[in-house]
Amino acid sequence: MSLLAHAPERATVSDLELALMTDINEPAEVPEAADPRELFEEQAIPFMDQLYAAAMRLTRNPADAADLVQETFIKAFQAFGQFQQGTNLKAWLYRIQTNTFINNYRKNQRNPYQGTIDDLEDWQLGNAESVTQSTSTRSAEADAIDHLPDSDVKEALQAIPEDFRMAVYFADVEGFSYQEIADIMKTPVGTVMSRLHRGRRMLRDLLADYARERGIVAKPAASRQKVSRSAK
Amino acid sequence: MTDCGCDKAKSELEEYLHRELSDGDFLDISEHLSTCKDCTAEHLVGLTISEKVRKACQEKAPEDLRAAVLGRLSELRS
Repeated sequence: MSLLAHAPERATVSDLELALMTDINEPAEVPEAADPRELFEEQAIPFMDQLYAAAMRLTRNPADAADLVQETFIKAFQAFGQFQQGTNLKAWLYRIQTNTFINNYRKNQRNPYQGTIDDLEDWQLGNAESVTQSTSTRSAEADAIDHLPDSDVKEALQAIPEDFRMAVYFADVEGFSYQEIADIMKTPVGTVMSRLHRGRRMLRDLLADYARERGIVAKPAASRQKVSRSAK
Repeated sequence: MTDCGCDKAKSELEEYLHRELSDGDFLDISEHLSTCKDCTAEHLVGLTISEKVRKACQEKAPEDLRAAVLGRLSELRS
């Protein structure tokens, strides 16, 4: 990854071929005659939908998301000789995408929290934990959140700080292990856990607010009633 | 088996949800959840959030992006 992070915008094709040649006698799964670059399309392109969804979370708009994904695939293609067959290709692609985003996009976006968000105390983030809820309130909360439309969930995700948002995305959407997330985000596992915990706490509070705004009433889940919504 | 109690369960529910606990801790929490309504309700909130987030993020890459990427790759190959 450090190679990539410092690589010039476009690696030249000859660099690339050198890198590929040194890796040519790799293990069994790679068919002898296959051009690794042919494998790339077969193996990496199927992850485009997921990378795009993550890019949407990162850039918050379709045009930038599409640019980010395209650039990710180009960089990944150029570096594919360094990918070790048999390791997690999806995580490798996400590492490249995260890097590309940080290098090319993040600096163009207003991000007042950058660099300090992990250091903020919970009270500064406005999410002091409440542990006083009753069982029936918790059940009603789950029920209310369950009734929210996808658009509310995406809005809530966009509203939380980027590092928290992506930790939640990697864990809950992609099912990556904490260690894999730590590798993708280049941060210790403890930081991943803290980002996840705080991110999910903030999401939970936001979703509870949205449910209230939509008039999804907190009824005890035992009755399991469908609650009508005012909008959408 | 002795119940691990609500404090341990609540503090580890997130790791339980994400399958990050050791087998022993995982069993302890499962065991506790089987008898504790309150922690089960808390766990359900966590599960619901995960599931809602997962469902909300099932996006498809636009067709023209797919075409653009494949086009760029074949340019790079030639």
